[in-house]
Amino acid sequence: MELIIYYTLFAITVGFALGVLLNKNTVKSAMSLVGVMICLAANFLLMRQEFVAFIQIIVYAGAIMVLFLFVIMLLNLRERETTPWYLRSTRFWGGALGLTFFFVMAWGLQVFSAGTTEPAMAAVQADLAARNTPEITVLSTKMITHYIVPFLLTSVLLLVAVIGAIVMARRQDEDGNEILVEDEVA
Amino acid sequence: MQEIFVSNLVLSALLFTIGILGVMWKRNAISLFMSVELMLNAANLAFVSFAYQMGLLSGGILVLFIMTVAAAEAGVGLAIFISMFRAKRHIRVDEHDMLHG
Repeated sequence: MELIIYYTLFAITVGFALGVLLNKNTVKSAMSLVGVMICLAANFLLMRQEFVAFIQIIVYAGAIMVLFLFVIMLLNLRERETTPWYLRSTRFWGGALGLTFFFVMAWGLQVFSAGTTEPAMAAVQADLAARNTPEITVLSTKMITHYIVPFLLTSVLLLVAVIGAIVMARRQDEDGNEILVEDEVA
Repeated sequence: MQEIFVSNLVLSALLFTIGILGVMWKRNAISLFMSVELMLNAANLAFVSFAYQMGLLSGGILVLFIMTVAAAEAGVGLAIFISMFRAKRHIRVDEHDMLHG
């Protein structure tokens, strides 16, 4: 039963991903990407990783994709994706490179996955449940002990990204003075 | 269920390949960026599958870090696209070649 659900999900995920690639309309492409992210969250749930699944929906499908859609609407991108003649060869070689990458990966995976056994996650989670420790406790403890340096670094990264985004999106005249919306309308 | 693990690695490779094809084929900067997000998602999937197979809870933490970096990247990248759009009224990446030399 679980495998039937899993393979259905697999097919839907690949379908949505192809939708991202093949849609000429940017908004449709973005909506397909939301579909991919929700399918991946369901996939994480099947692997019993509830916390990551919820974060996937809240942060990716909720925050990042809304930002994308917001910018698409803001720029009012009506034009559809086209391929001029001078990009045809780029397309061909890019496709060849991508497919080569996939076949190398598939070959490597075939070699790698020859001796896989039952996944160890179920046993770990059963052990945690026996000790009456929620998984989120273990995750958060790890986050602020073993991974404390990367955790603090991400806060600096986010601060720099916020300042950078404001500086990039700000409107300036030649002397570097801010142009306000009122001036532009007038 | 090791079938789920192995097929998830295949799915991850597929999503990553579709992301690469998107980066190679698209001209619209936002579509290109969405393909990059797809590749990051493929990496997330691989992390979670390995955590599942090996019984390691740290996989989830690494996914959180990837998401943070993706959010920061999306914020800065989309701001750059807005200023690109101001400069030329379009965001077709092949026609923004001022650094071409």
